[in-house]
Amino acid sequence: MAIFNLKKREIECKIVYYGPGRCGKTTNLEYIFKTFKKQVSGEMVSINTEGDRTLFFDFLPMGLGKIKGCDVRVQLYTVPGQVQYQSTRKLVLKGVDGIVFVADSLEVRREKNLLSLKDLQENLRDYEMNIFKMPLVMQYNKRDLAQQGIPLMTVEKMERDLNRQLKVPAFQASAVTGQGVGVSLKECLMLTLQSLQKQFQWAK
Amino acid sequence: MKSKTVLAGNLNFLNLADLLQLLGTNGVTGILRVTSPYANEQGLIHIVNGNPANASCGSLAGIDAVYALFGWTEGEFDFTRDRVDIAKVIQKSRMEIILDGLRMLDDGLIEKLGPTSFDKISLDSSGASTSVPIIRGPLVDYMYVVDEEEFIEGQQIVQEGKHGGWIWVILEGTVDIIKETPQGPLTILKLTDGSFIGSIASFLMQSNARSASVRAASNVQLGVLDSQRLAKEFARISSEFRGFVLSLNKRLTQVTEWATELWQKNNALDAFIKGRTPLIQQGENEDKMFTVSRGEAFIVRKTDDGYVPLATLYEGDFFGRVPFLDMGHEPYSASVFASENLKATLMESDKLEDEHERLSATFKNFIKNTATCISVTTRVACEFQKRISQAGQKKSPDNVSASINRK
Repeated sequence: MAIFNLKKREIECKIVYYGPGRCGKTTNLEYIFKTFKKQVSGEMVSINTEGDRTLFFDFLPMGLGKIKGCDVRVQLYTVPGQVQYQSTRKLVLKGVDGIVFVADSLEVRREKNLLSLKDLQENLRDYEMNIFKMPLVMQYNKRDLAQQGIPLMTVEKMERDLNRQLKVPAFQASAVTGQGVGVSLKECLMLTLQSLQKQFQWAK
Repeated sequence: MKSKTVLAGNLNFLNLADLLQLLGTNGVTGILRVTSPYANEQGLIHIVNGNPANASCGSLAGIDAVYALFGWTEGEFDFTRDRVDIAKVIQKSRMEIILDGLRMLDDGLIEKLGPTSFDKISLDSSGASTSVPIIRGPLVDYMYVVDEEEFIEGQQIVQEGKHGGWIWVILEGTVDIIKETPQGPLTILKLTDGSFIGSIASFLMQSNARSASVRAASNVQLGVLDSQRLAKEFARISSEFRGFVLSLNKRLTQVTEWATELWQKNNALDAFIKGRTPLIQQGENEDKMFTVSRGEAFIVRKTDDGYVPLATLYEGDFFGRVPFLDMGHEPYSASVFASENLKATLMESDKLEDEHERLSATFKNFIKNTATCISVTTRVACEFQKRISQAGQKKSPDNVSASINRK
C-alpha cells in the first residue's frame, strides 16, 4: 500500500526487483540510476549482503500524471535473495506496490528461477498479498549471452516455466546493455499506477 | 520549552525500522526513546527533520548506537517532539541506516536482546509449567531432498541409543525431541518445518548412536536428505571446518544431556568449575576462536538462578566467538572455564568463515539449525535451573545441589 505524504503532497509507492541471486536485479537498478539520473532524487543506497547487493533509491517518474493532485514518487528496491536476510526482505516487501521479477535466461539457472518465484509467492502470502493480483512484470534477462554461445532457455520455455499461470507482461532484456530495462520498468509503473488508481476509487 | 510525548507504543508491534520510516516520512524533529526489559539503559535517537542526527545507547553513541537498537525487538518506545540542539553526527541517510541495520541483524552482527528471538520460540517464564519451545528451520532446499516419508501422529521416528544414519528435514508438521530419563521421558524441544533431524556425525565412518528419540507430534512429512551428496561435501571441507562442525554437534548433545540432568534436579556443577577462574568471562568482548589441544574446558552460563553447566569440551573442540553463528554461548552469554592442564591454540576464524560462506545452502542451514538448537536448549536448561533454585528457596535446602548453586 502506497504511503501518502500529505506534507509534501506526494504519494510514495514501492517497486521491488525480485529474482534469484545474480540474475541481474542490481544491474537493472544501476542502469536505471545511470540513465534516468535527472529523475532520481537522492543517492543510491547500496547495502552489501552476502553474495548480492541490496539497492535502494528514489525515483520520480515524469509524465505519469498525478493522482488526486499528488505527485507520485517511486522507491525502487532490490531484495536480497538469500534465505538468511529475512528482516531485510520483510522490510523491502512490506507494502510493495509493484514487482519486476527478473529471471535468469541461463539454462543452468532454471531451477533457481522456479524456486525464487515460489519464494516470492510465499513471501507475499505472508503479507496477505496475492501474486495474481499484484502488479507484476516478468523480465527474461541476459538474452545477450546467446551471442557468446552460452546455452540459454528459449523465451517460450521460460514463459511456460514461469508465466503459464500468471500471464503477466513479459520482456526480454539484457540489463548490462540496458536493452529491455526501460520498458520493463515502464510497464510495471503503469500497472502499479493503474492498480493504485483503482484502490483509491475503492476508498472513495 | 514545552515538550511532550506525541507517540508511544510497543516495539513488538512497530519495530525500529518501521518507526524510523514513519518518523522520516513525516519529517519530524524530536527524541525517540527506546526501552527494553533486557537492557539496563535506555536508547535515545535524536531526529532532525526525519533523519537521525545522533543517538546513544549504553556506552555507544552515533551510528553504532542506532545499529545496536535494531537488536531490541521487544520493548517500548516513545517519541517526544522537541527542539534538538545537537550536532549532526550521523551522516548516513535514513533508508541506508535501516537497510544496513537489518542486514547486520540478519548477519548476526547485531546482538538481539531478549529471549532468543528465533522464529516461534515460546518459552514460559513462569517456570513451573515450562512449555516446550518450537524451532522452525530455514527454507528447505528441495534439491537435496531425495525421498519423502510420512509419519502419523504419535509414531516413533528415531529411538534414542539405536544406530542410524538418516538425516531428515521436516517438510511439514511438528516432532518432539525426547530424552529418556529414570524419571520418565522428557520432551526437550519441538522441531517444525525446515528443521533437521539427525546428526552430522553420521557422515563419519564410525557408527552413530542417536542421542535422543524423535516422535511425531502431529502428522509429519519428512524429506530424506541426499546424504551421499552431503557426505561428499563434508569430505571436501577442510579438516579444521570438519572438526568445528563435529564439535558443534557434540556441543548440542552435551547441552541436551545437561538440560536433562537439570530437569532431574541434578546439578553437578561443583565438580565442574570448583576453584577455577573463567578463561573467558561471560559478556567479555572476546573475538577469537580457539581449539582445545590438551585438557578440558567447561562452558557455563551465569543466570540469576545460579550457574548453569552447558558443555564440557575435550581435545579438538572449539570455543570462543564464532563469527558466522550465534549459539547463545560464549563469549556473550556464557563463560569458559579451563582445567589446569588446558592448552588451547588459536584458530583462524576468518578461514572458517570463508569456508562457511562457500558451503551449500543445505549444509549452512544444517549448521545454523544446530546452533539454534544449542541456543534454545540452553534456554531450556536455564529454565530447569530456575525451577531448581525456586524449589530450593521455597523448601528447606534439602537439595544439596540447589544450595550449592545459590552461593
